[in-house]
Amino acid sequence: MSEYQQSAEEIKKIDHHLDSGFKIQYVYENLSGMFVEFARQEEVMLLQILTADARKYFSAKLQEQTLLQ
Amino acid sequence: MADLRIDLAGIKSPNPFWLASAPPTNSGYQVQRAFEAGWGGAVWKTLGDPILNVSSRFAAVSFNGQRVAGFNNIELITDRPLEVNLQEIYETKKRFPHHAIIASLMVEPKQEKWHEIVKRVEDVGVDGLELNFGCPHGMAERGMGSASGQVPELVEKQTYWVKEAAKTPVIVKLTPNITDITVTAEAATRGGADAVSMINTINSLAGVDLDTWNTVPHVAGKGAHGGYCGPAVKPIALNMVAECARNPLINVPISGIGGISNWQDAAEFILMGATGVQVCTAAMHHGFSIVEDMIDGLNNYLDDKGIASVMDLVGRSVSRYSNWGDLDLNYKIVAEINNDVCINCNKCHIACEDTSHQCIDLFTEDGRPMLKVREEDCVGCNLCSIVCPVDGAITMVERKSSVPPMTWNERQALISSLAK
Repeated sequence: MSEYQQSAEEIKKIDHHLDSGFKIQYVYENLSGMFVEFARQEEVMLLQILTADARKYFSAKLQEQTLLQ
Repeated sequence: MADLRIDLAGIKSPNPFWLASAPPTNSGYQVQRAFEAGWGGAVWKTLGDPILNVSSRFAAVSFNGQRVAGFNNIELITDRPLEVNLQEIYETKKRFPHHAIIASLMVEPKQEKWHEIVKRVEDVGVDGLELNFGCPHGMAERGMGSASGQVPELVEKQTYWVKEAAKTPVIVKLTPNITDITVTAEAATRGGADAVSMINTINSLAGVDLDTWNTVPHVAGKGAHGGYCGPAVKPIALNMVAECARNPLINVPISGIGGISNWQDAAEFILMGATGVQVCTAAMHHGFSIVEDMIDGLNNYLDDKGIASVMDLVGRSVSRYSNWGDLDLNYKIVAEINNDVCINCNKCHIACEDTSHQCIDLFTEDGRPMLKVREEDCVGCNLCSIVCPVDGAITMVERKSSVPPMTWNERQALISSLAK
């Protein structure tokens, strides 16, 4: 899979979580990439984001969420 | 005609082009010829206690047919008697009262030594002083030059001693042989410097002769490190000037030095905060007459830009020089190949495929070889346009980002705000 396809997949997952009513609850980064906790009421989902473009996209979504709060 | 006169910390000259302290300013004969050719100022070859020079002093690095891409020297400060230099400075100043003559000075880091030499050179009418805290070879082994210039406390203290005695503006010339030049520039400012100049030469060994195994240059079979300058060092010098120009603690004018070979180089240094520039290697390579093109070129450039005085150009690009963490992560450019201009050398494809992001496709259309960038995989690194030998064949074009601007620092702050 090309890097573009991989990031497109990851972006799709980010959008899917947000479109399903999840909110970004917590983010941490380590040598294995970025890990995002999405929360919807009691439900928590962990998403690992590897590609640079998807991590940039995620940052924009986090900014959007912060501005809306 | 734009006004090319500059005022650098009170030192006035008819244009921003000065000869740097080096072999071209070794004597009154040379400096007077330089002024006749059009140079606005000259920093006299460094004066100090008597020294001896060696034979075989210079070496150059040529690259792909370009002679003197870089230049190396192991020559020390002037080896002519101080009295002779002072007499020639006096005569030159008398003949060219409106040109700037700055005396470059280097003595041991002792207060009385600085006081003595400052008094003697000011007595013959110099317009300013430049403290040589930069030469990396020979004198540094004796505690002077860059050996002094690498220690912020010594830079500050010696500048202060000079200022105690000086009546003319004091420029402190800094060495690039240090991790962060702003530290010594700040020290010079604290010591009372009226201006700073940079860069002096970079520690270097020009080469090794593969037949004799001698260094280049060598002195009877032995070599020693020298100082590197010329076009190759320009980006290093430009960065150091810019870093100092954007540092609020270095609030003094800058004289830019390092690989300046034409009016375009000079304009870049001026845009990045230099009030004037000093030139050496280009004059040694092509002679004093290069200043004519420099003056004409800068004049035309200012006229084209509608700028009346070169002083109005000083520092205009400084605010555009920032920290990496303040760059927009979402700014996007991609390469665009014009197949009508492309000569199908495929250098862009090879460079991208081997050393970048594998986003230039080779294909054939109607029997004609073509190249196309897959924009989704292009990171906008510029490599293809850099290696392309044909002007206009590859253009880097902006693409609107789907997300708003965000810097690394903003991103990190945002992520931190979610900390548990």
